[in-house]
Amino acid sequence: MKIKVSDTRIEERDLQKIRKKVLQFWPTGKEVDLESAIDFHRRLPKNKITFEKLLIGKNTGKTFIQPRGGVALTDDLIKLLRALEKAGADFLPVTIDSFTRENRYDAAQEGILRSKQSPKIPVLNGYPAVNAGVKECRRIIESVNVPVEIRHGTPDARLLAEITLAAGFTDFEGGAITYVIPYSAEVPLKESIKNWQYVDRLVGLYQENGITINRESFGALTGTLVSPCIAIAIGVIEALLAAKQGVKSISLGYGQCGNLVQDIAAIKALVSLSEEYMHSFNYKDVLITTVFHQWMGGFPENEYQAAGVIALGTLVGALSKSNKIITKSIHEAIGIPNIESNVAGVKISKQIINMLDHQGAFSNSDIEQEVEIIKQETRCMIDKTMELGRGDIAKGVILAFEKGVIDIPFAPNRFNLGKILTARDNCGAIRFLKVGNLPFSKNIIDFHKAKIRERAKKEKRKANFEMVVDDIYAISEGKLIG
Amino acid sequence: MSKEKKEKKEKKVVLVLGAIGSDIHYAGIQILEHAFIGAGFKVINIGVRRPPEKFIQVAKECNANAIIVSSLYGQAGQDCEGMRQECIELELGDILLYIGGKLVVGDVLPPWREIKKQFKDYGFDRVYPAERDSVSRAIRDLRKDLGLYKRMKRRRVKGKGK
Repeated sequence: MKIKVSDTRIEERDLQKIRKKVLQFWPTGKEVDLESAIDFHRRLPKNKITFEKLLIGKNTGKTFIQPRGGVALTDDLIKLLRALEKAGADFLPVTIDSFTRENRYDAAQEGILRSKQSPKIPVLNGYPAVNAGVKECRRIIESVNVPVEIRHGTPDARLLAEITLAAGFTDFEGGAITYVIPYSAEVPLKESIKNWQYVDRLVGLYQENGITINRESFGALTGTLVSPCIAIAIGVIEALLAAKQGVKSISLGYGQCGNLVQDIAAIKALVSLSEEYMHSFNYKDVLITTVFHQWMGGFPENEYQAAGVIALGTLVGALSKSNKIITKSIHEAIGIPNIESNVAGVKISKQIINMLDHQGAFSNSDIEQEVEIIKQETRCMIDKTMELGRGDIAKGVILAFEKGVIDIPFAPNRFNLGKILTARDNCGAIRFLKVGNLPFSKNIIDFHKAKIRERAKKEKRKANFEMVVDDIYAISEGKLIG
Repeated sequence: MSKEKKEKKEKKVVLVLGAIGSDIHYAGIQILEHAFIGAGFKVINIGVRRPPEKFIQVAKECNANAIIVSSLYGQAGQDCEGMRQECIELELGDILLYIGGKLVVGDVLPPWREIKKQFKDYGFDRVYPAERDSVSRAIRDLRKDLGLYKRMKRRRVKGKGK
């Protein structure tokens, strides 16, 4: 069997020929003007550009949060996106409706009309961006302050890409495998590969004009017991296909499986292998980032249980140092979330991310080291207590508290010396700001001094009671370290 | 200016601070103490689980300007309803009474304005919720209620032209 499709880069003149056809698939295609699109992108502030934000995030070890979401009418969509941004979303979505995903623009149009007639009864499960057109889509970009991505599941996303890229979206999800094999029954790969090469080559065209659009591969696939190797192999392949067409910024997705070790290992393997293959194919200037999808399978109906699932996904995404986490809502089991339940998913995720911000995956040796320190400190206190009591624990305890050999921070009891002060170090671990009379060896005292000094230096402030007070309030204010 | 006048002018505002009734919450009043001292007040922290009489007795002994009651365990109503009356009986009727914290319990808490009214009806001058910015608001209100802004203004005016 001779396969006609190939991974060679599409020539620009061939692209422009096909573009003429694609832009006629629906009347809004007429609104696409490459020059004005590039000009619009050039004038976008950096905070609205996916590539710029991902680059900073990757360099600073940050894990971003992004929800999903889309509704039929632009004004309602803007209201939703603003609520999600306010809740802490670092990147925003525009999730496309299912009619558009099947290129049924006439059905999407009917959906828009019905939505306008009865605004309180949602008809579409996402935003019909093709029918909305470039100008209307631009309103979305202009109404928010973070980058916006088109999220969907579209085998033939050529016109969708044309409209939304022209409108100022800086991130476009999908690929020849990830948006076709799980999202269509009939579409052959030889067709989907060509369609997605078009999308990647269009991104390449923007790139040639100095505009970097990010492409995201949907590694979560069917969300049904997908082994990491399948997700990663397909992700790497889509990255190579995209890079061939001139894409310079690629995110590779992975859906949470559920076992902590496996999920953290999967992200590590994804990072390692994608870099390895990109290098071996000589793509050295492509930014690769990772996207961790919170559990993509069935959810419990109970909102609190759903919150638990969301929280676990965030924990793993954070520990694995994924660059971005896609959140779920607490109504996932029921259907398309309303604003409140979607916002809840974002807030649950942000609280956890902010508390794990300065932490990351740990090895057994990290734990062993900390065990050793804790054991040494504890032995100092117990042994001194025994010494003071001359072998009698009861007598020892009384003397130990009197001398501050045992000292409890913030205890009301007048027999507690209250000479110690504790605060967090740069990773959030509790260290001693003042050792008081605790009977620590010099190396332990120096260890704590160094940790506190590191934090004071990083935060450019003194290590004093203010630091302690800030740490006391921190979690209620949505972070771990004050 | 005489020495007594100077001393009186420079005298710090004295606050009596503690957790009332059976409330054992200690960390909060430590933070309050630190904040009030930082704001230039003198603080007598009488600790936790103190009856209203103890606040008033210490306030009398130290010539305090204000009593600051902290309550985080939800039973302040029972602890505090007679406090203003006790102040009056012990000849401290004019003292400033502030209270802050989680002041009530219940499955469904009444709106804050109702809780505030409840404690104002008991005779408290200021009532605060258990929020971080309540501390800075209390400091600002103390200065206002004690006429300290006027004192500060007068000093500035006197300084002009020298």
